[in-house]
Amino acid sequence: MYSKEELFLAISTVIDPEVGFNLVEMGLIYDASCDDDGKVYVKMTLSTKACPMHQLIQQWVKEAVLKMANIKEVEIDLVWEPEWNITMADEHVKKALNRS
Amino acid sequence: MFSISQDFAPPFKLISPFFIIGSIFYLFSVLFLFFITGENITMLSGAVLGFVHLFLLGFVMMIIFGAMAQLVPVVLEVGHFGVELFYAIWPLLMIGTLLMVLGFVSYPMLLPFGGVTVLIAIMIFIVEIFLTIKKVLKLNIIMSSVLIANIFLLIGIIFGLLMALSYAGIINLNISALLRSHVFSVIGGYVTITLMGLSIVLLPMFGLSHGFSLKPLKIAIGMMSAAVLFVILSSFTNSVLFEYFGYLLATAALLIYFYLVQIIYKTRARKEIDIYAKSLIIAYFSMLASLALATLYLIVGYEPLLLGAGWLMFFGFFGFAITGHIYKIVPFLVWFERFSPLVGKQKVPMLADMLPKKSSSAQVLFCGVGVVVVAVAILLKDDMLIKAGASFLLIGAAAFVRSIFYMINYK
Repeated sequence: MYSKEELFLAISTVIDPEVGFNLVEMGLIYDASCDDDGKVYVKMTLSTKACPMHQLIQQWVKEAVLKMANIKEVEIDLVWEPEWNITMADEHVKKALNRS
Repeated sequence: MFSISQDFAPPFKLISPFFIIGSIFYLFSVLFLFFITGENITMLSGAVLGFVHLFLLGFVMMIIFGAMAQLVPVVLEVGHFGVELFYAIWPLLMIGTLLMVLGFVSYPMLLPFGGVTVLIAIMIFIVEIFLTIKKVLKLNIIMSSVLIANIFLLIGIIFGLLMALSYAGIINLNISALLRSHVFSVIGGYVTITLMGLSIVLLPMFGLSHGFSLKPLKIAIGMMSAAVLFVILSSFTNSVLFEYFGYLLATAALLIYFYLVQIIYKTRARKEIDIYAKSLIIAYFSMLASLALATLYLIVGYEPLLLGAGWLMFFGFFGFAITGHIYKIVPFLVWFERFSPLVGKQKVPMLADMLPKKSSSAQVLFCGVGVVVVAVAILLKDDMLIKAGASFLLIGAAAFVRSIFYMINYK
């Protein structure tokens, strides 16, 4: 129904308020797929296990995907392997964070 | 799926009094410095004891307790046993602190009352934390640090209460033996191990550091725990060997902890030297300077060196480590309470937008200069210089209180 790129585009509206970048450009979204029945699967991680915004961020991802037409259900798989690190982020994020 | 810690987070109205009152006590502590002179600046003078308790109980403990109310569910991944108990902790700790300070300064009879009130506040905190930890199935090193720190806090306040009773003349015990055990249990055992454990969660989280081993933290916490036990043992056996071995272990523990902190700093993805990074840089260099002065004291025995080491450890290391983290924790709490429900519906601020740039910078600058000037004044036993340093600190502390109110009232 939707491609991975389209799902990533929808999720890219979710911004981490601490760093100011969206989850996709941070490299926190590992995979996303959608079946013909409108059921979406998102595989994602967070920058740290101790993140106090676990629940909120997942909720925002769900809401961002549910805004797409004909999406009925969103399943989020929060994984810690592979562990996130800055090399997974987009180049412009790395450059921006690298500025002292 | 990983458990979701924020489910268990306490409401902001429960936590905010800890930060507001803690910041006001920080300001009071600075005002207190104006009453310290070259004559009363000795280890057991009422003025010094009053100041130390005002700062440690009113500011350090108040903020740590408030932060723990928020961070314990995040670190332990379980909900509080009884988060409502925190509503009783801050008023009791506030009243107890004021009574104790008055007791040290002018009315020794108030000490047992203040001591018991503080004891009740801390006991509520400890019991709540222990019962919360009991819900955890498997302890990791961070969770273990919370447990170990709170055991030392329990031991430390028992020594403290015995001292308060002796100081007021109700019982007759060896105060100097109890003092060393009390100081090491609370400062080394509780405050330092708590800061070690929590900072190793928070520093990489805010700096986006990855790929470092927690082994140095395990070693540092183990050594600091052993150090506290050796010093307590030395107090009651009069063993100089145990005492110095304890000091050596504590110094080594802090250096190993610093080694880990600098690895986290070097591997961070966020290179910006913001107010948080500046505060922590000052904090850790104060810690190193404190260790240097304390080592020098053990060699030459000049008491101002020990007082200077204590000053740098308290106002330099603890003070800046705590204020630095407040600039991260308070905006998050306010944002979570006030703006997170609006995400996706309207434009919301970033956490960095909620920080008052001028007053937070003023706090770091003036308090940084003040800490150094007072440290020099203590070493020289110079009244005028103490007041000069206190003047810098007063401006910094006022800016800090202003920052707290700005962040809490951000709309």
